[in-house]
Amino acid sequence: MKSWMLALAMLATAASSGCALPECTNPDYSEPECRVIAENEFARLRTPSSIELRFQQPDAQTPVTWDARGLLQLDAGIVAARVAGAGRFALSVEAEDGAPDEVTIELQNVDPAADVWIDRGTLEIPVLPDQDGGLRRTVALDVEPEEPVFLRGRRGCPERYRVAFVADIQTNPAQFERILERLQQERDDGEIIDQPLVAIVIPGDLTEASRDDEFDIILEILESAPVPVVVTPGNHDIYRPLHPHFNRRLGPGNHVSEVCDLRLVMLDTGSGAIARSVETRLPELFDRGDAEHLIVAMHHPAYAGLTGAGWSREDRAQRLLAEAAIADVDLLVAGHAHALRDFASIRVGDKTLRQIVVGTGGAYQGLGEPRFGYVRVTLGPDGLDTCFVEVPPPGFDSAQGQGLSDRLDYCD
Amino acid sequence: MAASSAPASSRTNAEPTPAQARAEAGERYRTCHPKRQWSCCSTEDAPCVRSSVARATLLGIGAAMGGVAAGILFAIGDRNGGGDPASFLVGGGALAGFGAIMGSVAGRLGADAKGHPDRVRPSTVGLDLALGRPATLDETEPAVMQLVFAPNWFFPGDGGRLRVFGHVGGTLWQEQQVDPRPQNTSPIPGQSSTAPVVLRERRFSFGLGADLAVNLPYPVADRSSFLGRSELRYKPEVQIRRETLDPGLPSERIVERTMLLPLTVGARWHLSDRQRFTVYFGPRFDYVAFAEPGDERVRRGGAQIGPLYGEAWYDIDLPMTMQPRRDGAPRKASVNSQISVGYIHSRFDGRGFNFGPVVGFLGPLHARWATRLRPKDWPVAIQAGAGATIGNGLTFSGNVGVVLPDLGERPQTKESRR
Repeated sequence: MKSWMLALAMLATAASSGCALPECTNPDYSEPECRVIAENEFARLRTPSSIELRFQQPDAQTPVTWDARGLLQLDAGIVAARVAGAGRFALSVEAEDGAPDEVTIELQNVDPAADVWIDRGTLEIPVLPDQDGGLRRTVALDVEPEEPVFLRGRRGCPERYRVAFVADIQTNPAQFERILERLQQERDDGEIIDQPLVAIVIPGDLTEASRDDEFDIILEILESAPVPVVVTPGNHDIYRPLHPHFNRRLGPGNHVSEVCDLRLVMLDTGSGAIARSVETRLPELFDRGDAEHLIVAMHHPAYAGLTGAGWSREDRAQRLLAEAAIADVDLLVAGHAHALRDFASIRVGDKTLRQIVVGTGGAYQGLGEPRFGYVRVTLGPDGLDTCFVEVPPPGFDSAQGQGLSDRLDYCD
Repeated sequence: MAASSAPASSRTNAEPTPAQARAEAGERYRTCHPKRQWSCCSTEDAPCVRSSVARATLLGIGAAMGGVAAGILFAIGDRNGGGDPASFLVGGGALAGFGAIMGSVAGRLGADAKGHPDRVRPSTVGLDLALGRPATLDETEPAVMQLVFAPNWFFPGDGGRLRVFGHVGGTLWQEQQVDPRPQNTSPIPGQSSTAPVVLRERRFSFGLGADLAVNLPYPVADRSSFLGRSELRYKPEVQIRRETLDPGLPSERIVERTMLLPLTVGARWHLSDRQRFTVYFGPRFDYVAFAEPGDERVRRGGAQIGPLYGEAWYDIDLPMTMQPRRDGAPRKASVNSQISVGYIHSRFDGRGFNFGPVVGFLGPLHARWATRLRPKDWPVAIQAGAGATIGNGLTFSGNVGVVLPDLGERPQTKESRR
């Protein structure tokens, strides 16, 4: 009897206190909280020559902290800085004593139409696009110890502009390449009528099995994107849990873009829910500030309707809907279901939200006729307009043409 | 033996009542070929139940459900809408198959014998305790305690019963969450880690429902296959969760989530005196309401249609006092136990079963054990149990309660049916 009581006491002691460790001490990157740590770690880089680079909030003036708004990697002595969002960004660079006086930085995923400059406090030096006209800018930056320098970017916008949304590429990157070609045309068409395309948003499932070769192919394809590509992972991008593959290749899954007068919030729901710590930051993330428009994109739809494809944690999904209602989010965009769906009126309290599911990036859509393409959102002073651009696979000569919903139809 | 256990008829001249006719039919089918033992009636009581055949049928149904689900999912390829019943069929079918196999093993070990008259059902009144999982440093995952109730009212003539069930409870202390971002490196007074506490939460939970069970005749016809009795069920239910974030702080807000299940129907299949398979399904309607920070008024509105709701359960009774004591002395109490495995196709409480890239499709799995102890000649019994839920982690729970006398007319035959 005494040994029983002793065993129970030991068990109770172990259960109550002894096992608590800091979050993700034993990493499992299928856990969203571990990816939060990873995406923030990868937004900061200290080179072997003691130069520290940090992605910052766009208005940051000091490099004391950092923000997961990009991915920093060192490649053959050159710092590759992939900006996660479209629009405004900031990158701080600070050297220690003994560091070399120059660092070469390749900015990636930067709009060719963006203004990029070196901010030395009183002096601003423009950084011009690379010769090839792509999304890269390379700069050899002079640095002095204890004198932080900022690289900043911003995109000027007309009254109206466009953002494209498409998710779920998975096993069919070839179809996604066709969509990307159509988006190049979209960029050209938009410039003619002064409604530029400012971002392509992919809410998850860029790969089928999170493999390195799949990420290689996707990154290679994204090289031909005409404007910055904004991504967050889906369940197919994160399920090899030993390493944060998505974050290492594409950067953060939870981040904010401030482009034109749009605040675009990306949430990592790859594990079927956002991280609890991200949930606590929703009021901050959804604070639109000066932005006219607020769009939130994630992989798993917060409202699943009659689908079997919602969040694994419906409690967190419903709390997100409540926060979105409080913040008057203009539009929720998701993927996961390989279809195009417009939930035009989701009742949350005494408000209504709208959510579009756009899992039309190439992934298998079943035995019926597939509908691939992207949703074009046109933003302007009178709100936002939505329509769908179908990009049929080879063999189909045109779009199907049937109406999609009262508020979502095919683009002209 | 069967004839002696059949109720005596007040008629003197002849025609057997329908119940007698069915009992006699069971007697006829009770004998079986020695080489086909697996298809024999599982007890000598009439009417016959061929438990092994019933379980093989259930296994086949489970496989068929899985096949249909695979067909639907393949055909629709992760599209919306059509995947909704398919994912329930996956979970329910798997549970049916697993239950049939588990029941077969248990049957081989004696769990097809005559049932205990005092079958384990939910306590009339009890307390449930779900344990919090081990916490991250400076985080708390509170235990949840609920007062549960489930009185029964039995209808006259062994026609069925109505159970009103529900619970009220919540977290026993505040849940705390930290912000683990590596930018947080400074020591924080009162904390063990450098990750600041960024969220406090309290949860209140309430549920109320009714479960109406109506017995179907058994056997339905003389030439029945004798696969066991069945019931039809209707179980309307409402579940409410009120979550208070940052209680007492200026950022306090309330999220109130309601799940309404007005049309849940189901069936129970008694595969033997001691084994049952139960399934429920129905539409679901969700209400999400909120109070903005600093505002006490909860803003409620209309319903959203939600995903299909469903449950599947396999129960096995394990009576512990069916045999007489070895010393021949009378037992001072009867003890009966029950093991249950279940699948609930709902992630309303944040529990979902995920594997590989299959994330967000399935609800949680449950395993439960319950034991009822009734001192001899006592109208009240004590019941206790333990369970585990697999879904976004593993959660252990325990419960204790009392079983008060049922209302209405106690069933006269086959008491263990419901």
